[in-house]
Amino acid sequence: MDSTARKRYSLVRTCLQSLKKPFELEKPSELFANEDVYQNIEKAKGFGLGSKVNEAPRSSAKSPLQMKSVLIRLWHYLFFHRAKLITVVFLIIIAVCLSLLAPYIVKQIIDHQLAGQPGLVKMLIILGSIYVLQAIVAFTQNSWMIKIAQDTVYRLRNDLFSQFHRLPIRFFTKRQQGDLMSRATNDIDNISSTLNSTFIQITSSVLLLSGIIVIMLINSPLLTLLTFSVVPLMLLGMRWITSHTSKLFRIQQRNIGRLNGFVEETLSGQKVIKAFSQEQHVVSEFAKNNKSIRISGYWAQAISGFIPKLMNGLNAFSFALVVGAGALLYLWNESVSIGTIVLFAEYARQFTRPLNDLANQWNTLLSAIAGAERVFKIMDEPVENIDETGAADIGHINGDVRFEHVNFGYEQSQLTLSDISFNVKMGETIALVGPTGAGKTTIISLLSRFYEVSSGMIYIDERPINSITRESLRSQMGFVLQDPYLFAGTIMDNIRYGNIAANDDQVVEAAKQANAHNFIMRLKDGYQTELSVGGNGISQGQKQLIAIARALIANPKILVLDEATSSIDTVTEIKIQDALQTLMKGRTSFVIAHRLNTIQQADKIAVLAQGKLVQFGSHPQLMQEEGLYRSLVEGQIVFE
Amino acid sequence: MKTFWSFSKKYTFLIVVSILLMLLELVSEIFQPFMMSKIIDDGIVGHNLNDVVLWGALLIGSSIFMFAVGIVSSFYSSYVSQYIGYDVRKKLFETIQGFTFSVFSKFSEASLMTRMTNDVVQIQNMVFMGTRIALKAPLLVIGNLIMAFIINPYLALFLVVSLPFIFGFLSYALKKNFKLFKIVQQKLDQLNRSIQQSLIGIRLIRVFVRSNYENEKFEQDSHALKEKTISTLRLAELTTPVVMLIINLAILFVIFVGHRAIFISGNASIGEVVAIINYAMRISGALSMLSWIVMAVSRVAASIERVDEVLNATDQYEDVYSFDNKQINGDIRFEQVSFQYEGSQTQTLANISFHVKQGEMIALMGATGSGKTSILQLIPLLHKHNEGKILLDHALIDSYNLPTIRQAIGYVPQDILLFTGTIADNIRWGKKDATLEEVIEAAKMAQIHETIMTFPDAYDTLIGQKGVNLSGGQKQRMSIARALVRKPSILLLDDCTSALDVQTENALLAQIRALSCTVILVTQKMSSTLIADRIIILDEGSIIADGSHEQLLQESELYKRIYASQDYARRSGQWTVQLENVTP
Repeated sequence: MDSTARKRYSLVRTCLQSLKKPFELEKPSELFANEDVYQNIEKAKGFGLGSKVNEAPRSSAKSPLQMKSVLIRLWHYLFFHRAKLITVVFLIIIAVCLSLLAPYIVKQIIDHQLAGQPGLVKMLIILGSIYVLQAIVAFTQNSWMIKIAQDTVYRLRNDLFSQFHRLPIRFFTKRQQGDLMSRATNDIDNISSTLNSTFIQITSSVLLLSGIIVIMLINSPLLTLLTFSVVPLMLLGMRWITSHTSKLFRIQQRNIGRLNGFVEETLSGQKVIKAFSQEQHVVSEFAKNNKSIRISGYWAQAISGFIPKLMNGLNAFSFALVVGAGALLYLWNESVSIGTIVLFAEYARQFTRPLNDLANQWNTLLSAIAGAERVFKIMDEPVENIDETGAADIGHINGDVRFEHVNFGYEQSQLTLSDISFNVKMGETIALVGPTGAGKTTIISLLSRFYEVSSGMIYIDERPINSITRESLRSQMGFVLQDPYLFAGTIMDNIRYGNIAANDDQVVEAAKQANAHNFIMRLKDGYQTELSVGGNGISQGQKQLIAIARALIANPKILVLDEATSSIDTVTEIKIQDALQTLMKGRTSFVIAHRLNTIQQADKIAVLAQGKLVQFGSHPQLMQEEGLYRSLVEGQIVFE
Repeated sequence: MKTFWSFSKKYTFLIVVSILLMLLELVSEIFQPFMMSKIIDDGIVGHNLNDVVLWGALLIGSSIFMFAVGIVSSFYSSYVSQYIGYDVRKKLFETIQGFTFSVFSKFSEASLMTRMTNDVVQIQNMVFMGTRIALKAPLLVIGNLIMAFIINPYLALFLVVSLPFIFGFLSYALKKNFKLFKIVQQKLDQLNRSIQQSLIGIRLIRVFVRSNYENEKFEQDSHALKEKTISTLRLAELTTPVVMLIINLAILFVIFVGHRAIFISGNASIGEVVAIINYAMRISGALSMLSWIVMAVSRVAASIERVDEVLNATDQYEDVYSFDNKQINGDIRFEQVSFQYEGSQTQTLANISFHVKQGEMIALMGATGSGKTSILQLIPLLHKHNEGKILLDHALIDSYNLPTIRQAIGYVPQDILLFTGTIADNIRWGKKDATLEEVIEAAKMAQIHETIMTFPDAYDTLIGQKGVNLSGGQKQRMSIARALVRKPSILLLDDCTSALDVQTENALLAQIRALSCTVILVTQKMSSTLIADRIIILDEGSIIADGSHEQLLQESELYKRIYASQDYARRSGQWTVQLENVTP
């Protein structure tokens, strides 16, 4: 054997081997079996504002929704546009009639005019107008349907997005952003492409089919029965296919979401990946996700690809049955005429198209349902607590805050805060001091009502906090958090975020007060400088100045300050301290403090340890007392 | 498009197989009417039971055959489409991993994500459809046209006349739709971007009570996408009715001409006219399928181009996959190095020269924007310097493979990036095959071990994306542990102890000091600089002082001033000491 022959031989062999490949993949049953492995991964700890401390956030969503209920909900969305929808149905009826009428006219022309009868031009004009009308109706119905579908998708998308903003913060700590994004784009896009065409296709197919069935029944009930003897088989086949594909599409959509999550994370963490030279690792991690999409997509597509084949096969089978049985009947006692058999044969042929359409739509419908399920699942997540009945808008407040015997635990059994009572008058600054986990952040979370007290009460201007709506309360509060998150957009927009109604002059004024104006003016585009997500492009200290300007412009009565101990160069540092002083003036300020000078300047200091308020008073007062505070301060001096 | 073919090349054989299977189906589909007519003509009309049974059996046999072939072809088509989709995604991801940062800035994250999921799914679906029906439609048109020509060339010619119009319109629609679908996908990018932003900033939105504002902004993007989708799809949906109208009018014409041919010129018989009409109607059916395919193709072409844009974004990839066995010990020398960011007017670094000996510890100080971070990023080649030389172990930095350099470096960036996964996983980012002992050792050095042990699942505790459920200080220490687990020759610390109290920081720095690696530490705290061998002070991209603490106290006015101001700050400011360290 020479080398070319050998090469040829090995090529043939590879080809033949590749023929087997599609049948050697992991089976769907194995996919289903592995499903539960991923389900219970979420039990991270919670820290920070709005999330539970030392406790796993937990999903309270129900088990997978039933296909039928998903369909019903989708239908409700669609039904919102019922007037238009009914018009579309009406147009579909016309289109179906026209599509039946045109061949009939052609047949008439063939039978009469082409046989020598007069009136060809008249008939041609009629036929021509039918064709034109057909085109107009087809375009109109599609174009209306597209409008309905896109309006529906638009509402669905907005509902999903606004749901994001109603969900409690702890919901987000356990989910990848990329997966949530995938729901709003990929899953909804699936629904979109289905709605665009499926409704029309299904309706017109059903209309066409039922029309044909009626005519068949009139002509020969017996043969009709024979024709439909394959229906049970069809249903059985469909059920088997659907039971597999509905699961497979669900897995596929989830895998796409997961991949999206992975991609989002690696893209935003690219710097670390590069610096650590972990490209190979992420590529192989990616391959895992990519493979699971491939296998689930493969089975979903392959099995749903059975449907048209099943339809065609059964259709031909039923045709053979009808013709065969019809022929026997005819030959036996002529109870069936040849004309009827021919008619049925013709109808059987006509059946193919709508059946095929219906079958193809079934696939897209299934994948849309899988997408819709993922969307509705988010919508069914319990939202942040709604306001108590009778809760009122707080209006303008002075800023007196009183904690009275407040107890709180993320879990029933374990109190995170116990018996906290203190009083802050308007305009005062209170420094919250204590080790990590002492409950400083929890106090803030309760005050801004991300959580509810277990017992006791918080009063704002002597009004119980639960008689105030959350939104109006928060709109009286301002926050400068440790990580001064900035949005992509101009600096102007970022400051204005504190008060959307503010004009440019007010923004500049706030920036001046926050000591940010000078550095902003030194930037090439000044206030119009575009920041990228997270405020990249300017330094940490500059971000903080912008965050302070943002809080200033909101003009809150109660200020929450999570003081960062970040090391900023001294000049900027002094600027920030100055800006903070300006900001705190005339406002009730809660400061999670790390700096001694901040603490010294506070009107009141609350020393927390293990959820208890162990000391409360001003710096001179507390320095007089034996206790944690003094030992902390003195410990510092010893250390230095 | 070229890229697309290169992806499908690998599966040529299987594509051919699935197309052959499709043709096999097509053949039996065409033969079915023939068998049906046999049953009716020979069997029933001819009173021949045998013929009925024979052709009936053949019909049933062929439908079972078709079913089987169809099922098998479904597997092949699905296989090919999913594998091509997989390859495209893989290639995209690998390409993106090789992007330099300047290429990165050309695409938004959200856009890259849409391309990798949404666009690839479009391509995948098209391949699946393509191998199953795309060829069928043109084949049907051609086949029926040939049949029409065989029967009566004169009349068939009138059918052919309509074709240039149809194909002209189709190619117009293809181009136009392609552009429109591209815009639709761009709008989708934009929507995706605003969702991403909103999710990142969710806490802030909550505390500023800006949910309504965010919803309104989102509705604008959502509305833009909706409007563009509607107008695009409307145009796309116009294709089929127009094509149908043209071919139907051609039928009308054929009837008219046929009528004349029968009765005036005698060019055709009535049977021929009927047959031609019949074929024309079949052609119109196939054409409606074809116009639908054209629409789908224009959509997928837009997606393919978007994939192409990423794949061909640059010809300067970082070679991130090849390692060599060179050892880097950690001697770093900058000679007259200048650097400016792409698109920036000003020089970030100008004429920087310094030398760090193996095992030395250097503190970099300077005001915000003086170029400290840029210096650090030039060493692992996250950015490339424009002028001058950077030498590692006395060899030019370019003489090493990129992964070799980066393998030797432990880098702790200023902004903290952690990943979804367990704590141990996150630390292992530094060294994939690190044992738990190594992980714990690194965590201990980073002063985070004890904190980790208080978590319910210790090192197996899951943390969310970007470490959302860890505090700032915990995140920083995690990020340091991740760098330490590599046992790097060069450790680059970019102001990463800001959220730590002085005591923890000092313990940490003492541990690092004890390591044998070269350390460059960006810091603002005097307390951290005291531990360093040498201090380099930067101002607006230039080095203005370089020396030990004692030297600088004598030589540098600026350093003296900083020292004085920080001496105050030290006594009054960094007081977190035990506050942070008293474990709950």
